[in-house]
Amino acid sequence: MKSRTTAAAALAATAALALAACSAGSDDNGSTGGDSAGGATLTLGILGEPTSWDPAQAHVGHALQPYQAVYDSLILREPDGTLSPMLATQWEWTDDARTVLTMDLRTDVTFSDGAAFDADAVVANITHFQEDNGPQANQAASLEEVVAVDEDTVEFTLSRPDASFEYFLSQALGLMGSPEALGTDDMDTLPVGTGPYVMDGGQSIPGSQYVMTARDGYWGADLQKWDQITLRVLVDSAARANAVSAGEVDAVLLDATTYDQGEQSGYTLLEYPTDWSGMMLFDREGVLNPALADVRVRQAINYAFDRQALLDQVAGGFGEVTSQVFGPDSSAYLPELDDYYAYDPDKARELLAEAGYADGLTITMPLLAPNFETLTAFVVQQLGDVGITVETTAVTQQEYLDVLRAGKYPMAVFNLFQGPTSVAYTQLLATGAAYNPFATTTPEIDAAAEAINAGGDDADSAAQDLNRYITENAWFVPWYRPSQLYFYDADKVQVEAQIQMAVPSIYNYTPAS
Amino acid sequence: MISLVLRRLGAGIAVLLCVTVLTFVLLYSSSGSIARNILGDQATDEAVAAKEVALGLDQPLLTRLGDWFAHAAQGDFGRSWFTNEPVVGSILGRLPVTFAMVITSILLIALVATVLGMVAAVRRGWVDRVVQVAAVVGNAVPGFIIGIVLVLTLAINAGWFPAISAISPGARLGVWITSLTLPVLALVVNGVGGTAQQIRSAFIKQLELDYVRTLRSRGISEREVLFRHVLRSAAPAGLTVLSLQFISLLGGVVIIESLFAIPGMGSLAVNATARADLPVVMGVVVYTVLIVIVVNLLVDILNGWLNPKVRVS
Repeated sequence: MKSRTTAAAALAATAALALAACSAGSDDNGSTGGDSAGGATLTLGILGEPTSWDPAQAHVGHALQPYQAVYDSLILREPDGTLSPMLATQWEWTDDARTVLTMDLRTDVTFSDGAAFDADAVVANITHFQEDNGPQANQAASLEEVVAVDEDTVEFTLSRPDASFEYFLSQALGLMGSPEALGTDDMDTLPVGTGPYVMDGGQSIPGSQYVMTARDGYWGADLQKWDQITLRVLVDSAARANAVSAGEVDAVLLDATTYDQGEQSGYTLLEYPTDWSGMMLFDREGVLNPALADVRVRQAINYAFDRQALLDQVAGGFGEVTSQVFGPDSSAYLPELDDYYAYDPDKARELLAEAGYADGLTITMPLLAPNFETLTAFVVQQLGDVGITVETTAVTQQEYLDVLRAGKYPMAVFNLFQGPTSVAYTQLLATGAAYNPFATTTPEIDAAAEAINAGGDDADSAAQDLNRYITENAWFVPWYRPSQLYFYDADKVQVEAQIQMAVPSIYNYTPAS
Repeated sequence: MISLVLRRLGAGIAVLLCVTVLTFVLLYSSSGSIARNILGDQATDEAVAAKEVALGLDQPLLTRLGDWFAHAAQGDFGRSWFTNEPVVGSILGRLPVTFAMVITSILLIALVATVLGMVAAVRRGWVDRVVQVAAVVGNAVPGFIIGIVLVLTLAINAGWFPAISAISPGARLGVWITSLTLPVLALVVNGVGGTAQQIRSAFIKQLELDYVRTLRSRGISEREVLFRHVLRSAAPAGLTVLSLQFISLLGGVVIIESLFAIPGMGSLAVNATARADLPVVMGVVVYTVLIVIVVNLLVDILNGWLNPKVRVS
């Protein structure tokens, strides 16, 4: 009979639990809860859980935003892309080759655990960043050595000129964590920085929400505009749209499929581009597919696409069509290149015939499911129209990057961030670039890259030459720059877009007065 | 009874071991490109290789399996590959929310389905038909559709409930209740249908048996016949359906938790699976299988208590 009492006890316990849950509900009249009244509080929806809070594991774009709440960076990137002092008061290249950067630091800053911020802390952070092998480890690729000259001066020595280096110091590479906490397991879940906010570990649930409270005695009063910031992780786009409709977040990024819900909610739309969507033609030397070595074939592919139709149908029309991979905010941008390859299937057929492919040709391409089916269907149809047969192989999300980098396909559909010129060059065109698996280059590209990294007066014109060169030679097939559709509650917050970043920087949110 | 429990427990452990080994082999045998995903598109081949060594991906599968079991046996499921959070900690942090949701749902399903099934079986006629149609519809519409409709009407339009969960550590009971009402409703509407139909059938079967006629012929009141005898005899079938329903609820919360952004096991599983965070996926699998085994065991015990024949069989 013992079993009977155990079972009964178990049953009673579950029933009691449920009853307790029900009865306690009567004194709470269905309030929506969660909002703390008064004070300047900000609730942001974020797209994903930050990886480890160790600053060396920080990422770029929308993934950088959470880190900005708790970590200051050496250099501040203004909304328009200008670099301003932050933990560094000033910096300059102290040699002619632009490989030695000397930087002065603030002397009135401490970390939230009480450790002092000084040159040694910077050296500790940069060294840790190099050793910790994070997702942005390449930001330190050109860095040879960092030394503390004195208490408030550091000197970075690069192995080669790198025009991106100052920009990187405003991104993951520049985030400063407490030297006492660097490399500890605690740092992965509880950040310790000099930033405007500190994480409230008690109120935060990893992967769900992070509550950040304003730090007493923060050095930069202008950067600390809220008493509390709550970051809600909203991975599901329907959940993000619902949160906006019900007014439960103050700002969040939506997409073309949830745009209507955002608009109907009465939120204000901030629309700006950060990415380009299109195709990478990796195999410009014809290693896998000899046809692609012919510039006429690559140009034909470019002429085969009705970019406006693609933008309208895939991205809901939110964005701008383009034929160049560099964005309007980069020094390489040339407005006239946006419509360089206007839709012209006849010209595409002509070019293919000239190149000797009047009877058509076949190209293989990986199909990333479940992200790129619609785009891939478009590619198959539009290229099919001009006589190019596209054969696809399904590749999982986990394999996609590996497959591209290993040079297994001559071309692929992709969506990529449009950074500053030197960053885009490193990503797309350098011989070690992630998206240049066959390491193709030409003397024209090398010369332009050298001028860009040397950073002199010629840098901008070299950047534009580079852009014109790769567009005319059809190294890529850009289709459009999709818009970021960022919605915010203007009654509560003012938001300024951040150039080349998928969501605004954490400093760009100001309480609406 | 003790031998029944021991037998079931033994079977449960065997199932747990099989599922764990199979899942591990399936997940880890194709984990080659995970290091690249963690480090991103800009990582060099050397960085990726170093990460693979750090994660133990360079070891043979059998070594990794042995290593995982050695740690798991001590309750250590490792750390997330992406966030470096201890797996056990993140699961235990999320279990209460999922449990609150699933247990409340299953109790409500049991209550509502039993009442509906009983009424349909006893009254028959149009009541029966209405219950049956409602049951089929409720069962056929996917839980997330019900969830979306509930969010639109009760959260966004009426504003009675939050559209996304507001549960945080130390949240008041009221916040728990308002946050979990719509997800629980979505799960219940979805689950009641099938269960009610099964209970109805079990009831009809019992009502047609001789003992019911005998009881009635002795002049025992209808209420006593139904609640004391028929309900008890039909209960094992109902319990079995409920235990199956519980397992499908564990699947249903995966979608519902994502839709409502609830910090539970379901959303953890979705995120971990999406980025192939294998230690977390393994942890979730083990905990889920454990829960299923425990629930089945409880159901067996309850059945044994209700029906002595089960104990000896």
